[in-house]
Amino acid sequence: MVLGALTWVLGVFDISLDKLSNGELWLAQVFRGLSDGATYASVALALVMIYKSTGFINFAQGSLALLGVYLVYVFSVEQGLPVALAVVCAMVASSAVAMFVERVFIRPFPPDHVLPLVIVTLGLLLIIDSAVGIVWGFRTRSLPSMFPSGAPIEWGIAQLTWRTIGNLGTVFAVVGLLYLLLSRTKVGLAFRAVSSNLESARLVGIRVGPTLGFGWALAAAIGTLGGALVVPDLLLEPSIMLRVLIFSLAAAALGGLDSMVGAVIGGLVVGLARNLLVTFLDLSELALATAVAVILVVLLVRPTGLFGSTRVERV
Amino acid sequence: MKAAVVAGSRQHRQRQVIGWVLFAVVVALIPFLIADTYSPTIFGNRYTVGLGNLSQAIALMVAILGLNIATGYSGQLSLGHSFFVGSGAYLSAVMVSEFHWSYLSTLGVVVPGLFLFGVIFGLPALRIQGLYLGLLTFAVAAVFPSIIRLENVANRTGGSNGLSIESDLEPPTWAPLDTVTEWLHAIPGVGSRVPDGLTGRQEEAVYKYFLLVIMAMVCFWLVRNILAGRVGRAFVAIRDNPLGAAASGVNLAAYKTLSFGISAAVGGVAGTMLAMHSGFVGPDEFGFSLAILLIVGLIVGGSGTLHGAVVGGLAIQYVPLWSSQTQTLPGTDVALEGPYGAAILGGLLIAITFALPGGAAHGFRRIKSRLMPVAPQPPGR
Repeated sequence: MVLGALTWVLGVFDISLDKLSNGELWLAQVFRGLSDGATYASVALALVMIYKSTGFINFAQGSLALLGVYLVYVFSVEQGLPVALAVVCAMVASSAVAMFVERVFIRPFPPDHVLPLVIVTLGLLLIIDSAVGIVWGFRTRSLPSMFPSGAPIEWGIAQLTWRTIGNLGTVFAVVGLLYLLLSRTKVGLAFRAVSSNLESARLVGIRVGPTLGFGWALAAAIGTLGGALVVPDLLLEPSIMLRVLIFSLAAAALGGLDSMVGAVIGGLVVGLARNLLVTFLDLSELALATAVAVILVVLLVRPTGLFGSTRVERV
Repeated sequence: MKAAVVAGSRQHRQRQVIGWVLFAVVVALIPFLIADTYSPTIFGNRYTVGLGNLSQAIALMVAILGLNIATGYSGQLSLGHSFFVGSGAYLSAVMVSEFHWSYLSTLGVVVPGLFLFGVIFGLPALRIQGLYLGLLTFAVAAVFPSIIRLENVANRTGGSNGLSIESDLEPPTWAPLDTVTEWLHAIPGVGSRVPDGLTGRQEEAVYKYFLLVIMAMVCFWLVRNILAGRVGRAFVAIRDNPLGAAASGVNLAAYKTLSFGISAAVGGVAGTMLAMHSGFVGPDEFGFSLAILLIVGLIVGGSGTLHGAVVGGLAIQYVPLWSSQTQTLPGTDVALEGPYGAAILGGLLIAITFALPGGAAHGFRRIKSRLMPVAPQPPGR
């Protein structure tokens, strides 16, 4: 009977045992999943940065990353800089934009009223996305990758490409640097103080506004880097970051919205889940739906995610 | 400054009646005035008002009304209302084109079906609050188009190509549309704006407009009654202070799911209205951008007010339309191209949040209370 049920399930999802027992295919999808996951993780990291400091989800994070990626395009393809240098320039430029945005649009609102802030970030999403559309148009473009093409390790169809290695390495480096920045520097200490308790931080003399602005700048830089990792696999066009944003939201929710390690692990899990499910269950149309399912299950079973801290509310 | 009128007095009631009669006259006359593709030219740009656009705005008003129940009144941030609107539209479209139901009879399925959808959707909202709920609903909205494109349902929904509905809403023969048009045309002065007679397509558009207006009015009236009573007070209490509401005996779980249910049902009706209006449903019309648009409409019009839904519907229909029709700026020779409408809406959203947190409805109310003050009824009468 168990066997019967199993064949029925396999039949419903149109799974062939050939596919399932194909080790190379598994490995190939794991590699691709890790590569995708690294990019989701980097945008999720940006979301977590904002959430940690201000307690709300920045729906414009994807748009800031989109702007950053177009800046990478301008610096590398139009100005002819080396890609890595172009990415650094774009990170600096998008941090400047993010600091401006935070100063002008976010700081006037009291930080404990979440709803108006969310509405403002939705407004920013509309403005930045359409501004990108107005300036650069809707033509698709290709963006060079920071990493060389080719694969150092090949195993049949499974290839561990330089890009995958580079994406993973970059994300882990970012997490490491962030950890050092937050735990070993004065700015990081101020940032942690503000995110743990805004009022007390203000009372002990931390300048809350600039610290939050710093958080926004850092988040935008990380988001731009994430975009620069993801876009070379696809083509650059104005709606590209929306899909990435959904997957990254799923990653951040899975890891816990205020945990950086959680964001990375969440990103990798979502990337793996997406690639494996799409390949073996033949669900190419439902790639986005798997992300939504992840969000739903996590929020229902464990609303604070895997690594997030529980919020205690005082009555 | 005029003397304040006491609420509930004869004078006040008279004024209200006059107001409603004026409103009814305007609503009844507008289709005849703009059926003849009214498009004024301002600074070298042609702007269309168009009866079709107005009808679509009416459907969007109902969609915002639905969102208003969950988000504006009950305070549950829902960024996924387009999901309900889309589901309603597709349910109606499939039933009309495949099973040859009439649009109005599909409401018998859409309303209870979407109510159930909303309740199921609202179940996570019991555990998930605020931002997390926004996050989940946002993701659900983004996934709707790919559900429609699924292979298993694509033969019914038309997949990416959308579904054209083979049902023409033709005005019944007893409708005196032509007669009314002739009367209006005969009025000196204003009459010259009204066409001499209606062509077949214009007649259909006018008929659709009246159908949609009646449906919208019924929706607004029902929602007003729900919100004016016990249920509405419970919703507002949940929004303003959930702990306090629970302490006063409001069953949070029941009322939250109820608010999602009603919200989704109204959203479904809005979907049916959109399908009726355009005779076509496509997957990308009901994606994440509609969800954002509805939130924009809600906030710009005024969250938690019924009038706000009307203003919001007009805003999200006409702002993108008119900004795409603005191709030259007066006094300069700058040519405008691209998605300026979305940028303007985004700017409007931020500006309203800054300057007028209660939305346009709140602004109107302030002006009205200045011009025509109403004093509360004195106690002890």
